[in-house]
Amino acid sequence: MNVYDSTSSLEIEQKKSLSIIKGRNKIKFKKMITIISFLLPALILYSIFMLYPMIDAVRFSFFDWDGAATSMNFVGIDNYVKLTDDKIFLKALGHNLLWVVLSLILMVIPTLILAVLISRVKKGKTFFRAGFYLPSVLSLAVVGVLWSKIYDPMMGPINVFLKSIGLENLAKNWLGEPYFVIPALVIASTWAFYGLYMILFLAGLQNVNSELYEAADLDGAGPIRKFWSITIPSLRNTLNVVISMVIINALKGFALIWIMTQGGPFYMSELVSTYVYKAAFSMNKVSYATAGSVVLGIIVIVFTIGFNYYRERSEN
Amino acid sequence: MESLVKRWKSSQFTLWVVLLLLLLLITAPIFYAMLASFKTNMEIFNSPFSLPKSWNFDNYINAWNLGNFKQYFLNSAFITVGGMIIVALVACPAGYAFAQLSFKGSNLLFYLILLGMSLPVQAIIIPIFFQLKTMGLVNTLTGVTLVSSGLALPFSIFLMRNTFKDIPKELRESAAIDGAGEWRTFWSVILPLAKPGVVALLIFTFMNIWNDFLLPLVLLINQEKFTISLGLYSFQGEQTTNFGLIFGGTVISMIPSIIIYIIFQRSFVEGMTGGANK
Repeated sequence: MNVYDSTSSLEIEQKKSLSIIKGRNKIKFKKMITIISFLLPALILYSIFMLYPMIDAVRFSFFDWDGAATSMNFVGIDNYVKLTDDKIFLKALGHNLLWVVLSLILMVIPTLILAVLISRVKKGKTFFRAGFYLPSVLSLAVVGVLWSKIYDPMMGPINVFLKSIGLENLAKNWLGEPYFVIPALVIASTWAFYGLYMILFLAGLQNVNSELYEAADLDGAGPIRKFWSITIPSLRNTLNVVISMVIINALKGFALIWIMTQGGPFYMSELVSTYVYKAAFSMNKVSYATAGSVVLGIIVIVFTIGFNYYRERSEN
Repeated sequence: MESLVKRWKSSQFTLWVVLLLLLLLITAPIFYAMLASFKTNMEIFNSPFSLPKSWNFDNYINAWNLGNFKQYFLNSAFITVGGMIIVALVACPAGYAFAQLSFKGSNLLFYLILLGMSLPVQAIIIPIFFQLKTMGLVNTLTGVTLVSSGLALPFSIFLMRNTFKDIPKELRESAAIDGAGEWRTFWSVILPLAKPGVVALLIFTFMNIWNDFLLPLVLLINQEKFTISLGLYSFQGEQTTNFGLIFGGTVISMIPSIIIYIIFQRSFVEGMTGGANK
């Protein structure tokens, strides 16, 4: 009797705790369902249009495929080996580097100086900020069409102006000559992109300790001295962000070049992105082009991760 | 003392003049295009920098009707509005989950999504084209809308996560004590507080999709499906020497973004610095 009793009470105890666990599981399960319901649409969309294409890009690059054939030939790293031997691809990669360097020169310090000037204005700061940001609002198609007309050798305002003041020999076919085409394109691209960096600098400048300037004033430091020894060091974090964004955007460039020169004349302004586009969609070398685009993607991602790692270390 | 005030005033004056001249120089291409859009080809060639002889809207009318800009405009509007709706509906709950709900693997998942933020579109555009082809969505506005939304997600989720992080968790907890479910709390308690963030998200999405060039270029084939950016590009290819007409199309293309910018200027700047500094 006694023994039976005790076992039954034990059973009841067990059942009780089991149902508590079940209840907890139920709550946990319900919570999980809720969380999934918040994330699922994003995960589906992201998987279909980003994750899956990323995997596909790598997969394509190991095959030989023209985009139409029903079967794909596995060729291992052949496409990548061919890329290292492709003069135009290497040239395009070099142009990307040149593009990075020119963008850094044109964009970082001049934009910073502009931001410093705007931040010094007492009345009308918002007006200047809004005005100088205006070009960044325009689409790259607009910027591209507009600047190709500005550079037009016959009717473009630059050459018309040069001719009208008697400097005919300075008038060039800006987008048609090997040594001018990339600088001309980078100027247009600087015009289109500096606005964002200006805003970032302005935000950074708000956090610079004004006492530092006052102390420097007492020491009789001039504006250039103050710029180099106070403004730039205080803005180190912002400068880091801006420099990395300039580099990444320079590597990603496509639309302006495609609209203005399509990589011409004679591949003189070819970038990896324009070359890859041509290879895939007009030469039907789909898998080869994909390998080229994977190289570009890896360069950008490795740079981004490396940069963030460096930044976290230097900020701590 | 008086001379100090004077000096301060005069230095502010010089600054103003310098900045104003610089602003005129930098925005000159925009004004040049606007003036040229009212001119004939002869006028652009002979007097590129003067005001037009008459305010003639022919270039606009011709671009709009003959140049198909009406169609391009509608296509862009479809893709942009569709993309804004999808992005907002998808990125807000996801950003909320990452910011306020704690769950296993949330960091890992978030980093996976961030990976997409640094990835250049060029690296995956070729597979996207073939994927869309198998889905039967190449050369459709729906296809471009879906891809644009998908590609906008990493940044949008990042932005919304930052927005929702700024809202104290206690609010959510007290709503839960009152018996509100997670979705209810999200819709009626948290989302209204995140309004500035949502507005910034919508503006960014508008600008990105409206101004995009690469996706429409790759994914759309027939001219009647073209967006305004792609339309402008093909228009300048057809009308190579007709400068006035091209500038008409160019100005039509820039007007919507400029209007949106003027209306939402403030949230523009705030969203941008908020997104980049965190």
